[in-house]
Amino acid sequence: MALLNATNVHKTYRLGKVDVPVLRGVSVTVEPGEFVAILGSSGSGKSTLLHILGGLDRPDAGKGEVVFDGTPLSAMGMGGLDRYRSERVGFVFQFYHLLPELTVMENVTVAAMIRQGRLRYKAAEVTERAKALLESFGLGHRLGHRPAELSGGERQRTAIARALINRPAVLLADEPTGNLDRVTGGTILDALAGHRASEKLATVMVTHDQEVAARADRVVRLVDGRLA
Amino acid sequence: MYQALLTRKYLTSKIMPLLAAVAVMLCTAMVLTVWSVMGGFLSRLLESGRSLVGDVTIEWPNTGFAHYDELIDLLEEHPRVKAATPMIDTFGLVSLPDNRVEGVNIRGIDPKTYGEVVDYTQALWWKPLDKPAEKDHKGEDVRLDPRYKELFEAVYQEGLSLSEPDSKTGVPQWAAVPGIEMLGLSKREASGIYRLGSLGKALPDGGVANVMTPAFQQRITVRVVPFDREGRDVRLVSRPFAVANEFRTGVFEIDRRTIYIPLAAAQSMMKMEEAKSAVSGGTPAAGGAFNPYDLNADGTPAVPVITGIDPARVTTVLVRAKDGVSPDELREACDQVYETFAEKHRDVPAARTLRENNLIRTWEMRQAQFVAAVRKETSLVLFILGFVSATASFLILAIFWAMISEKTKDIGVLRSLGASRAGIAWLWIRYGLAIGVVGSLAGGALAWLVVSNINPIHDWMGSVLGVTVWDPRVYYFTTIPNTIEPVRAVIVLISGLVFSLLGAIIPAIRAATLDPVRALRFE
Repeated sequence: MALLNATNVHKTYRLGKVDVPVLRGVSVTVEPGEFVAILGSSGSGKSTLLHILGGLDRPDAGKGEVVFDGTPLSAMGMGGLDRYRSERVGFVFQFYHLLPELTVMENVTVAAMIRQGRLRYKAAEVTERAKALLESFGLGHRLGHRPAELSGGERQRTAIARALINRPAVLLADEPTGNLDRVTGGTILDALAGHRASEKLATVMVTHDQEVAARADRVVRLVDGRLA
Repeated sequence: MYQALLTRKYLTSKIMPLLAAVAVMLCTAMVLTVWSVMGGFLSRLLESGRSLVGDVTIEWPNTGFAHYDELIDLLEEHPRVKAATPMIDTFGLVSLPDNRVEGVNIRGIDPKTYGEVVDYTQALWWKPLDKPAEKDHKGEDVRLDPRYKELFEAVYQEGLSLSEPDSKTGVPQWAAVPGIEMLGLSKREASGIYRLGSLGKALPDGGVANVMTPAFQQRITVRVVPFDREGRDVRLVSRPFAVANEFRTGVFEIDRRTIYIPLAAAQSMMKMEEAKSAVSGGTPAAGGAFNPYDLNADGTPAVPVITGIDPARVTTVLVRAKDGVSPDELREACDQVYETFAEKHRDVPAARTLRENNLIRTWEMRQAQFVAAVRKETSLVLFILGFVSATASFLILAIFWAMISEKTKDIGVLRSLGASRAGIAWLWIRYGLAIGVVGSLAGGALAWLVVSNINPIHDWMGSVLGVTVWDPRVYYFTTIPNTIEPVRAVIVLISGLVFSLLGAIIPAIRAATLDPVRALRFE
C-alpha cells in the first residue's frame, strides 16, 4: 500500500473576483522510503501540491483526495490534521523559516514540544536526539547560536533537523536547496540521503533544478497544474 | 510547552512588550496609589473614631442626662463593654493668647476613665521621648532632649490630670489641654515635629516653670452658654484656664478646634453639677424658700432643710468595646443597657427618644454623611481611573496586533509543525498574561514605593516646587494615608492581569485563525 496517495487533486485560489486554478487534477503516489521529486517551473503549483500533501491546505471541495497510510486526510478534523503534521510529516522550506528568537537547539526541539505537549515532553530524550541530529549535520558547535548567526546552509540543515526530530514518515521539502549555492546544496542533499536511507524516510521534494531531481527515485513533472 | 519557551523569548527579546508591561505597570500603580490614599483616608477616618470618642456614644446634647455614674456601672457590667466614661460635649468660645476668639468644641472629661475609652495618653503631645518619631531623621524633636526630660514629664502629668499647680501658691488648679493646632504657638515642620517659640521660664532652682510659652503664665478663657434641665439658657459663663499640655490626634479639625477641660469644670460652667434644693428650717423671712437671713424661733440662724438633690449631668457617655466586639454589636448592647437604665429613672430621656433621634450611635453613624460622601467619591474616582486603565488593554491589543503581523510567518511555521489553533491562541494569551503579571507586579511595587513614601514626596514637592496638594485644612488629617491594604492590592493586580488578558484575546484569536499557507507566504 502506498504511504501517500493524492488522487485527482484540484485547487483553485480566488484572487479578488477571479478564480485562479493552481492544480487541475493532479495524482501522485509516494511509497515508503521513496524519494519523489516534483519538477516544475515557478507558478506550476508545486508548493501548493506539497501543502496539500502535508495537510496544511485542502483540495477544492469534492475535487480530489489525499490518503495517508490508508486514512483520507479529508476524514481528519482540525486536530487530526495537526497531529498528522506533527507526527507523520516533516516540512522543509526554501527560506528555512527558523524562529529567529530561538537558538539552533531550541528551533529543533520546539517541534518535539509541539508533538509531545507539556505533560508528555521527554526533555532529556528530545535533547539527545536533537543533539545527535545536529551533530550529524555538522552543527554540533552551533547549538546555542541564533539563526541570524548562521550561514544559509547551516540554517537549512537546522530546518531539516527540525523536520526530522519527530521521526516523520514523509519529508516534504519545498526547494530546500533553492536558496543555496551548488556545493552547499549538494551537501544538504547528501545529508538528506543519509537519513532517508537510515530512517526509511519517504521524501517529496519540490524543485525546478534538474540536477536535484536526478537524485530522486522518481520524478513527477508539473506544468500549469497538471502532470506532464 | 512551546508557548512557555516562546513567551519567555518574546518577552526578553522585544522592546514592544516591555512598553506594554510599562503601560500596565503605570495604570496599576496609579489605581492602587489613588485607592490606597482615598481608601486609607476613609479607613483612617473610621479608625480615628476609637481614638476620639471610643466605639459608641450615648448622647443627650446640651441639657445632658443625670445618673450617668449608674449608667456607666450598668454598661461596664455588660460582657461586650470594656469601659465607659462620662463627658460633656458642647460648643463655646475660646479667647487665645494672641487675642483671637475661636469657636471650639469643648470636652469636659474625667482624665482617668477617659483614658480607658480613648487613646488620650497617646494623644498628649508634650512628653519625654526615648527615640525620634518616624520622620524626625535628624532627631530635632525637643522632646528628645534629655535636659528637658523632667520638664516634659511634669507637663505630661499635668496633661493627664488636667491640672497645673498655681505658680504662686502651688495649689493645683483646673487646666485645659487644647489641640495642638489651636493656639498657633507650636509650629509643625515637614519632619512632623513641632517647634516651640521657647521652652518656658527658668526658675532660680534650675527648673523650668512651664513649657507653654508664650502662653506661659497666660491663660486662655473658655466661654460657654449653659442650659438648665429644661433647655433654657441661663447666661454666658466664662472661666480662665491655664494650659497644661497640648494633644494631637492627627485629625486636623479635631486638633484645631477641640479643647479638653476637667469634667467638674465643665459641669460647673454648664450648670450641670449636682445641686440641692432646700427650704428654710426656721421662720421664713419671705415666702417658703430658704433664705440665709431666716431665723429659728429662738432667734438663732436657721439651718436649711434639704428637700431634694438635682443630680449632676453629662451630655455624653463614651463606651469602648472589648476586643473582638464590633461597634455595631456594642451599640446593640448599649441600647439594651440604656433601656434598663431609663426604665429605672424617670428624669432621664426615654430609650425610645434616644433611639428615634439616633443618639446611641457608633462613630461611623456619627460621620455617616461624610463617610458616605467619601465612599461615593472614592468609587467615582476608581471608576474613572479604571476606565482610563482600560486604555492599557487597547495598548496591548495594538502592540499584539502589530507583533502578530510581524510574526505571521512564525505562526505559519508553528502550524506546519503541528501546532493547533488553540495552541497558537494560548501562546498569545499566555504572552498577554505574562505582560500582565510583569506589569502588575511592577505596578504594585511602584505603588508600594510611592504610597509608603507619599508624605516625604509631598513634603519634597512642597519645599522644592512649592506645591501643596494635601492641605490639612481641606483633607482632615495632617498626613496623607500611606498604607496599602493587601486585599486592595490583590484586586488591583488581578484587574491589571484581566485588562492585559482582554487586550490579548482579540489578537490571539486573529493569530489562531490565520491560514497557515498564507502565513507561510506572508512577506
